[in-house]
Amino acid sequence: MFEFFKRAFRRPQGEPIVIVSGLPRSGTSMLMKMLDAGGMQIMTDSERVADIDNPKGYFEYERVKDLEKESDKSYIREGRGKVLKVISFLIKDLPDDNDYRVIFMRRNLDEVLASQNKMIERLGTEDATAAEEAMKEAYRNDIVRTRLLCKNRPNFELIEVNYKRTIEDPAATARSVNAFVGGHLDEAAMRAAVDSSLYRNRSDG
Amino acid sequence: MLGGKTVKVKIDRDLFDRLRKVADVAGYATTEEFVTHVLEKEMLHFEDAGSDDDIRDKLKGLGYIS
Repeated sequence: MFEFFKRAFRRPQGEPIVIVSGLPRSGTSMLMKMLDAGGMQIMTDSERVADIDNPKGYFEYERVKDLEKESDKSYIREGRGKVLKVISFLIKDLPDDNDYRVIFMRRNLDEVLASQNKMIERLGTEDATAAEEAMKEAYRNDIVRTRLLCKNRPNFELIEVNYKRTIEDPAATARSVNAFVGGHLDEAAMRAAVDSSLYRNRSDG
Repeated sequence: MLGGKTVKVKIDRDLFDRLRKVADVAGYATTEEFVTHVLEKEMLHFEDAGSDDDIRDKLKGLGYIS
């Protein structure tokens, strides 16, 4: 009950920043594409260009990669009224002087890992990380942490979007996301931006 | 460890019996002390993201953090 009042009566800190978040390869770029098509302004420097892993682009802001290390995070304020992609691991490092609407992408963990492994193979980077099961457990914890954080910090609101269901029914996702960000987006354009042919790593489950 | 206010939590009797046996063998003063220790340790996974090196390494490999 106290949490409810804390949220209801807090002073807004400018227009909220819409954050598209989730594990890497959980469909965050697809959602960015939907928001872009729907008419939202994207906070991106377009430094990471489209490739075989993300043929329609990444929609990233390079400096966000340093969010954990950098002490000056005032640039995040430029994202007010815009949408910014921040992977779930870095949500904890967002400064508290903004309001955030977090759209959290959820996808089957086996699919996420399969897609990540292919990407690492293509990038040729060293994968010195834990075994599959340990990684799944670490990601499960990451998901719970993100949910907890958004529940505990009054300047955060969260909606979850399922990747597979978005591919199957883009109109439903367009509707719920549009309502979450204020209802001013072009839903027809949002659903048209979903390309089901990019759903390449499917799990049987 | 249980110096503050406490609340009751209901758990399955069989599970409690297993906990009591392990607490005893492991040298905890009480089953409550053992349960509190296990829960606090488990909570760290969710409350302390900074310690998750598995994820950090993976994200570096994927190019999502520097």
